[in-house]
Amino acid sequence: MRIGVFVCRCGTNIANTVDTEAVANKALEYPDVTHATDYMYTCSEPGQQEIQQAIKEHALQGIVVAACSPRMHEATFRRAVEKAGLNRYMFEQANIREHCSWISSDIEANTRKAMDLVRMSVEKLRFNQPLFSSYVPINKRVLVIGGGVAGIQAALDCAEGGLDVVMVERESTIGGKMAKLDKTFPTIDCSSCILGPKMVDVAQNDNIHLYAYSEIDSVSGYIGNFKVGIRKKATYVDWDACTGCGLCTEKCPAKKCYDRFNEGLGTTTAINIPFPQAIPKKACIDADYCRYFTKGKCKVCQKLCPTSAIRFEMEDEIVTEEVGAIVVATGYDLFDDSVYGEYGGGHYPDVISAMQYERLLSAAGPTGGHIRRPSDGKAPKDIVWLSCIGSRDASVGRPYCSGICCMYIAKQATMTRDHLPDCNCYVSYMDIRAPGKNYDEFVRRAQEEYGVQYFRGRVGKIYPKGDRLIVQGADTLLGIQIEIEADLVVLATGIEPSDGARGLAEKLRISYDDYGFYMESHPKLRPVETNTAGVYLSGVCQGPKDIPASVGQGSAAAAKVQALFSRDTIETDPQVANVKEIACIGCGKCIDVCPFGAIQWKTLRDGSQKAQVLETVCQGCGLCNATCPPKAIQLQHCTDDQILAEVNALCG
Amino acid sequence: MGSKTEALAKQFEKVFDDLELVIGWETGFDSLHATPAFIRQPSALGRLIWNPFCSHNLSGYLTKTLNATAQEDAKKIGICVKGCDSRSVVALIQEKFISRERLYIAGIPCRGTVDLRRLMRLKPSLKDVNTVHIEGNELAVETARQTHRFPLQDVLLRKCLQCRYPNPVLYDELIGEPLTPRVTEGQAPPFVDKLEAHSLEQRRVFWERELDRCIRCYACRNACPLCVCQDNCILESRMPKWLSQRSGMSEKFFFHMIHAVHLAGRCTECGECERVCPMEIPVALMKEKLNQVVKELLDYEAGLNPETQPPLLTFDPSETGI
Repeated sequence: MRIGVFVCRCGTNIANTVDTEAVANKALEYPDVTHATDYMYTCSEPGQQEIQQAIKEHALQGIVVAACSPRMHEATFRRAVEKAGLNRYMFEQANIREHCSWISSDIEANTRKAMDLVRMSVEKLRFNQPLFSSYVPINKRVLVIGGGVAGIQAALDCAEGGLDVVMVERESTIGGKMAKLDKTFPTIDCSSCILGPKMVDVAQNDNIHLYAYSEIDSVSGYIGNFKVGIRKKATYVDWDACTGCGLCTEKCPAKKCYDRFNEGLGTTTAINIPFPQAIPKKACIDADYCRYFTKGKCKVCQKLCPTSAIRFEMEDEIVTEEVGAIVVATGYDLFDDSVYGEYGGGHYPDVISAMQYERLLSAAGPTGGHIRRPSDGKAPKDIVWLSCIGSRDASVGRPYCSGICCMYIAKQATMTRDHLPDCNCYVSYMDIRAPGKNYDEFVRRAQEEYGVQYFRGRVGKIYPKGDRLIVQGADTLLGIQIEIEADLVVLATGIEPSDGARGLAEKLRISYDDYGFYMESHPKLRPVETNTAGVYLSGVCQGPKDIPASVGQGSAAAAKVQALFSRDTIETDPQVANVKEIACIGCGKCIDVCPFGAIQWKTLRDGSQKAQVLETVCQGCGLCNATCPPKAIQLQHCTDDQILAEVNALCG
Repeated sequence: MGSKTEALAKQFEKVFDDLELVIGWETGFDSLHATPAFIRQPSALGRLIWNPFCSHNLSGYLTKTLNATAQEDAKKIGICVKGCDSRSVVALIQEKFISRERLYIAGIPCRGTVDLRRLMRLKPSLKDVNTVHIEGNELAVETARQTHRFPLQDVLLRKCLQCRYPNPVLYDELIGEPLTPRVTEGQAPPFVDKLEAHSLEQRRVFWERELDRCIRCYACRNACPLCVCQDNCILESRMPKWLSQRSGMSEKFFFHMIHAVHLAGRCTECGECERVCPMEIPVALMKEKLNQVVKELLDYEAGLNPETQPPLLTFDPSETGI
């Protein structure tokens, strides 16, 4: 093989701490290397042209570029060598920037390491084989998981573009957390007034098929051809027959059920429609509270239902949908504020979470939009908000900022001063984070025009005194202890990933961070893609965001899906496992370890059983390769011989 | 002991109509050596023997020379197993190399089998043995002239000295009464612990001294019932090429490491690798160590239950602590 080596200086990024010329000269000593040089910016147009010219002039058969991370420019250089007539897999990239020049200023050591890295790439390249992709058709349907505002936006944008959309929502209605909000910052728009029409659009759009009260059971397949099992949880109501008239919810005798939609403020009935604008507006029985399910008799709803829609015998049902792309928009849950025992959340009735306060503000909430404290229903005279409950606090495992609390505190305090002009509003904050458009102005308005009293500091504890609460803390700007007697305390609970986010990630084979937020493919340049091709992220499931950012990401994910579906076929990655049948002993261990179900049995004409890789399903993880005792199964472009060649280059 | 030999033949006679073959032991080229017997006629069942010389694990033949997976209408294969051998059979069933339906298993509770090399070192002149059996803590060898007695500690195979499974874990018929294990957990530390008590440096010296003798004859691999790659062993593959033919410590060490790692969580500690080693290298120790690790990390012991899946042959994302 005739190999050309190109050492990139990357301006000064590499050249400052690596002697690139020496690396290029050294490379000429390596086996099969017939041409080596260094260059200012190898990734630039002239840099690529130099590679292409060298391929022609020196009849090169393989190329090594020593430059940045392959994650950065591998695709660039593969295209470049392909244009010059080589197979794109006859290229290797040695990372002498992130792995070398950036991590030490010792020029001599860096240069030595760069030489080793180049040598490894050369030795690997000597075992490279041309590889070829195949093409498979794309199923142009998209699955959106989660019916909050981010999922709704993604679904509507996809449907608008003519795509078939399958939406799966865990609750019995779409709308997500936004549907629970009273107003939205910084414009004080009514949340349900701006979300409602979008929810109706979902219901009315012919291209969207909604599975409410359903969850993802299984996911198999690959980009362009996913097969998704959807568990339709038993609602015990035939939704084809239910008209949402609500008669059942009026007459249901089990009236003391936990009201999930109202965050446990007030109660609801066992058969229930969460809120008047619910989509779909269908009743659903909570079997944990229903008298028929708990005590064995009742069936009042069945007797009353004008369309005879009640089905106590209903069971979960699994339906299968085939889609080509998946948008994950599973949103968030709220931090459990009872973790801070000193504040008495969940213990004192008048210490409530911000989402509960939101329900108190809402006209559709349990108090009809009148601010009344839960304990005695009195209008509060003094309210204190505590910020960063489960945010920016490593001691409770939540070191990140939830991003929205500063803003919703300002909104809730402003709204409170509107509703109850005599009510004193106090806010204890660490820092005020208001970086969005018109955000800081909004917070200032709360402080300056609405007279909300902000003090910087941390509250130490809250304890009851009579029917009021004493909030004790420090004002760190004034350097004094403060004590406020309050009627109501609102804990600005932070964001955490949805319950079950990790389990779903395992099914989708996408990664998640320490907290359970899904990992984007690149934090800056690929913020809606995941590392599993064909799976995109939208909204808070990827990290804390407010409504405008979630909606923006929903549209971004839809754009990614549209771009993917603008082609009819998808090119497969040939860097997958491959079975050398003559060495396969048919033990099937690879089949058992494959996390993707990508290996199946194949019967040869002599009746013997061999493993066969479905190359479109294989993700190239290499588990089968590591498990196969005779190493009959090899990962293309990462074969044992290629890795051993690298190891030998380094250690031999 | 004679009674067990007879019971074995009798049992197979009873069921022979359903069998195409019985694999057991018979007397070999002299009275000290047992050898595998392959019996296809009921009239030849009298050749079968059972005594402490029957150390061979016969389960390897099920995969290496016979295709013991289920075939329609095929008759069964009868096989004699000791406790340790039965675990190999279980492992082979787990890995689907043989099917339970195809087997008729005669299980023999075993007090231990003899390491002939140790015995001959104690009594080089030993020959013309009439009977051999275990009495209490002694091996009684009766020759034409006299009965020799040897303490079991001095003559048994190393694996038998730390035997936890004297009784077969899987069988159709048990020949004889179940026995109490020689070693239960927490008792008499196994050989691995003894070796591990030494420093890293001492262990390196130990293994260099031991493995230096390896002639890479691959007898250990060939005797292993769970070395299932047979003619496609990675050690002889040139593509991929993991190992060269160079004769050096690193190559020898690498060979034994590959063998051990391929058996991690699979080895049933039958000790065949060590028994057949012409250079008397304690090669099974490496596998015992790996089994200890698998037990600690994954709470799994190989070859006990045909229904379970060996943990290293699955993918479970919820596995922790690894």
